[in-house]
Amino acid sequence: MSNYLPTIGIEVHCELKTKTKIFSNSINGYGQMANSLTNVVDLGYPGTLPTLNKEVINLAIKAALVLNCKIRRQMHFDRKNYFYPDNPKNYQITQAETPIGYDGYVEIEVNGKKKKIEIEEMHIEEDTCKSTHRGDKTLLDFNRAGVPLIEIVTKPCMESGEEAKLYLEKLRELLFYSDVSDCKMEEGSMRADANVSIRKQESDPFGTKAEIKNIGSISNVKLSIEKEIERQAQLYDEGKTFPPQTRRFDTKLNDTVLMRVKETGNDYRYFPEPDIPFVYITDEQIDKVKKTIPMLPDARREKYISLGISEVNAKKLVGHRSLSDYLNELLEEKIDFKTAGNLLLGDISAYLNKEEKEMKDTTLTKERFMDLVNKVSDNTLTSKNVKEILDKVMTSEKSIDEITKEAGIQNITDNSAIIEMIKKVMEANPESVTDYKAGKDRAIKYLMGQVMKESKGTLNPKMAMDVLKEELNK
Amino acid sequence: MQFLDKSIQEIHDALKKKEISPKDLVEEAFERIEKSKNLNGYITLNKEEALKQAEALEQKDAGDNLLFGLPIAVKDNILTKGLRTTCASHILDNFIPIYDATIVEKIKANDMIIIGKTNMDEFAMGSSSRTSYFGAPKNPWNHNKISGGSSGGSATTIAARDVLFALGTDTGGSIRQPASYTGIVGMKPTYGRVSRYGIVAFASSLDQAGPMTRNVYENALLLNVIAGMDDKDLTSADKEQEDFTRKIGKDIKGMKIALPNYFRSDIVSEEIRKEVENTKKILESSGATVDYVDMKYLDKAVTLYQIIAMGEASSNLARFDGIRYGYTKENPKDIEDLYLETRKNGFGKEVKRRIMVGSYLLSGDNAKIYYNKALSIRDDMKKEFDRIFKEYDLIIGSTTTTTAYDLTDPMDDPSKSFMDDVLVIPVNMAGLPGLSLPIGFGKGHMPIGLHIIGNSFDEATIYQLAGFLEKKLNLNLDSRKGEENV
Repeated sequence: MSNYLPTIGIEVHCELKTKTKIFSNSINGYGQMANSLTNVVDLGYPGTLPTLNKEVINLAIKAALVLNCKIRRQMHFDRKNYFYPDNPKNYQITQAETPIGYDGYVEIEVNGKKKKIEIEEMHIEEDTCKSTHRGDKTLLDFNRAGVPLIEIVTKPCMESGEEAKLYLEKLRELLFYSDVSDCKMEEGSMRADANVSIRKQESDPFGTKAEIKNIGSISNVKLSIEKEIERQAQLYDEGKTFPPQTRRFDTKLNDTVLMRVKETGNDYRYFPEPDIPFVYITDEQIDKVKKTIPMLPDARREKYISLGISEVNAKKLVGHRSLSDYLNELLEEKIDFKTAGNLLLGDISAYLNKEEKEMKDTTLTKERFMDLVNKVSDNTLTSKNVKEILDKVMTSEKSIDEITKEAGIQNITDNSAIIEMIKKVMEANPESVTDYKAGKDRAIKYLMGQVMKESKGTLNPKMAMDVLKEELNK
Repeated sequence: MQFLDKSIQEIHDALKKKEISPKDLVEEAFERIEKSKNLNGYITLNKEEALKQAEALEQKDAGDNLLFGLPIAVKDNILTKGLRTTCASHILDNFIPIYDATIVEKIKANDMIIIGKTNMDEFAMGSSSRTSYFGAPKNPWNHNKISGGSSGGSATTIAARDVLFALGTDTGGSIRQPASYTGIVGMKPTYGRVSRYGIVAFASSLDQAGPMTRNVYENALLLNVIAGMDDKDLTSADKEQEDFTRKIGKDIKGMKIALPNYFRSDIVSEEIRKEVENTKKILESSGATVDYVDMKYLDKAVTLYQIIAMGEASSNLARFDGIRYGYTKENPKDIEDLYLETRKNGFGKEVKRRIMVGSYLLSGDNAKIYYNKALSIRDDMKKEFDRIFKEYDLIIGSTTTTTAYDLTDPMDDPSKSFMDDVLVIPVNMAGLPGLSLPIGFGKGHMPIGLHIIGNSFDEATIYQLAGFLEKKLNLNLDSRKGEENV
């Protein structure tokens, strides 16, 4: 197969996390009984008119801000006219002419190099209803009709499936962290289409485009792009051409499949929506929205690393929103963040997973957590101790001290007591002491084991080891 | 028992004194409707419900609500919960709405009683109500004549004096033109004055509902009820509540009135021009000034209207696809078949013609060439009206170019029907309020209407002038007497 330059553009539809729909006061919800979240407006009843949910505008401004878009100050909606059963009015209200956001970018890191993925535009529109095909019948669920969406369109600026994947991961993280959307691809609250074409070299015009629609996961976006590049390259290699087309990714075949060849002049008869007056966005409104944006993922990772958390753990924490939010409330405190990070990602995560709980469902207040972190970092508690008491720590209101006491943990942190114990062990095992001094490293492990046995596990191993070495080297 | 011929105040007093009850009024209205049945003013009657509602009102005090217990006819493109609403189309001839239009809620809240749904052009597309699936209504002054359109049924029932109140809608003259043809008072309020929620959309940026009545005062009373901002309609205007009757009876001395030369050009028949000139003289002798003015763009209004109205209509009527409500093709082969057959059989000829032209006007680059261009010239037209209203209080002209023509006149020239509305359409384009007032009769004793145009949200001054002229002219506008002349 010869070498080709792939060109990829991505369109993402993201459902906004609003209480109600964009043009009616129906609840915006997922997983409810079919057609239970609908009213006459969603159903496109005669005489109905759209209202405009202000929350949608604010969330779209927020999305535009985190995607570094310019924000249009005067905009309107347009009607996109086409007949389809999932389209109750047989027109969709969208923004064709005046997208709220434009000229933005998202920064990704490809093989250690930073790259800006340029965003052409971002607009607001309404979702269609969901159709389910049963035999020769089609069932329509209008719960989704009128759910607010933003569509984010990149320039054709990506060159590989990997870049597309990195872009989508970053996009998802940004929109999720700014509370714009749930970004759950499996529930359809984030959907991606990829436009793929290839050409021989940069000076050539773009090749024929294939659009892969509605890909169900980010990893499949990468895979489907790679497969599509392969397919197109093979055709070109064989001297063949193909028409512009729409394809889908078949997860069973692990390949893209033709849906339809694009008809020329797809005519949506766009015109300005006469039922919704122009929308004006002020600087004050933008500033107000700006203040609601929490610390974004990049900033969080940077901050964590600067506080002594390892890069791996910093990434893991940002991957776990509720833990990261929890930790963010402690950023001004003077605690050992490395230990805090380890605890959150280790025992606490394990506990939460096992119990299927969120941080907010536990009794671990910030104060008690800091107490725990301090006790671990100053060696008062061993990791074994933490495992022992964690269930209590997460469910009872008692102080860490009380819980420790009730669990019968009495760690010896008094140096003289430790020295005494160690001396006792050394006296009882003179051969091992001699072996150690003769350079036999194994001997110290044996002695350590004896020390821990003597203390019945109440010694901090690290501390005991330090003292033991000191005593042996005397 | 002829209470519906009495003045609104007399009826109100009789109701207050319990000399009559709302039920008597409803029964009287139905007797009259029965008598004038051949006029075909109604598509659906609401007798049972109306009587029930009237009975429920027996226990209630009328207070100072002059409209309490009075029957009202509602144009059949305005949604009435539980009462069939057809838009005079086969595609909705089985459609029973599950909610009330905002203005219907308002008239119900004011204890008015809906007597029935009036005939109209199919989806309000036409100017003679002859595109109705249910046949055209007739003009009470001469049963061989049209009553105009699209609110022809509402005009017919008022002119026949079946009831005192009716609601119409006006996208390109559909209240004022039939009002003029039938000798009644019809007001198209400022765009945004009255909620459009629950009115089947024809051309969203032009549609406006308004009152149709036998006289000016009652017209203003009904506007009091239906006007007002509605959270469900983003194009409704946030204006303080006002009493539209407040200027009626006031003197017009010093009032400055413009009469555009286009409105008195030879597109208007001589008898009508003469009547308008007479009115001008009356106004001048009453202390008002009336100046002839030149106005740009008036002659372009019909073309612009066709582009905007048909473009919007083609999109608004897309929802009638047979899936969720209305007529549907049984056992379609596939979705394409469902769409095609439902719409082919469901819509009448004129509606299909407008959908096709509208779709063409919006397709591809046409939207920019035609629709967007039309919107921008429309802005210029609005500015031209603004220019006049800087100097003048009101603009007048005739409502129509001729009096009502024969029901049997050919319908094969589609552009003619638009030309019937050539004088009233500019008002929709500019979003202004306009009213038609009977000022005399032409050949065959057919009514002639004066068109009074006001500045944005200045309906009150229109009513002031209309009220003044109505009193001064003191015409006998009862078609039941006119009928004998035919």
